[in-house]
Amino acid sequence: MLVLTRKIGEGIVVGDDISITIVEMKGGTVRIGIDAPRDKKIYRQEVFDRIAEENRDAAKWNMVDLDCLSKNITVSKVK
Amino acid sequence: MMAKIVTRFGEIEYDPENLLHFPAGLIGLPHLTKFIVMPNKKEGPLFWIQSVDDPAFAFVLTDPTNFFLDYCIVPDSNERQILQIEEGDPCYVLSVVSVPPDQKISINLAAPILYSPKTNMAAQVILENSQHKSKTPLPQPKKAMKHQIISAK
Repeated sequence: MLVLTRKIGEGIVVGDDISITIVEMKGGTVRIGIDAPRDKKIYRQEVFDRIAEENRDAAKWNMVDLDCLSKNITVSKVK
Repeated sequence: MMAKIVTRFGEIEYDPENLLHFPAGLIGLPHLTKFIVMPNKKEGPLFWIQSVDDPAFAFVLTDPTNFFLDYCIVPDSNERQILQIEEGDPCYVLSVVSVPPDQKISINLAAPILYSPKTNMAAQVILENSQHKSKTPLPQPKKAMKHQIISAK
């Protein structure tokens, strides 16, 4: 991993179209500003990791459990 | 020309022309871009999709508005680009359902799947700044409970 030291107001450029700026530092927290094209999805690491893990967990199901559930869930849509 | 894959549910025959495409894969699983939509054997709102890229992966999905009537996600311009649709084109929302053996079924409302029936493209998005939980318990609709009572007689 590349590690760089930056001061408030300084930044980092990643590739041609992403720039990251250190906005504020207070009580062990760093606020970061990111300029990136809209098609570059930006997520907090722990949120992304949790969804990724839950996706992997959701793939571990058994047909017998689904059959059993489908029997018990019927929906009639009321609008 | 039909194709075949061997999955953990057995051999599945499918039409490669008729796949559901996730151009960006699923969150954390970017290599899963092509899925077979499996017809629902049993009645009910749940169905499942089988990955063609990795036979180990299959997901149970549902239309979350079956359970949460006011749940509404509209694709932004970037998501419309992934789905190859225009503003105003129909776009449905699907949610990943967790089906654990203890039957404590939950639905992921924090990372919905946007689906365009026009292009057969889909994209999973994360709703980061929302109240929606990734492990929302699936409520039992009242109708279903009634149904259970009747069929238990």
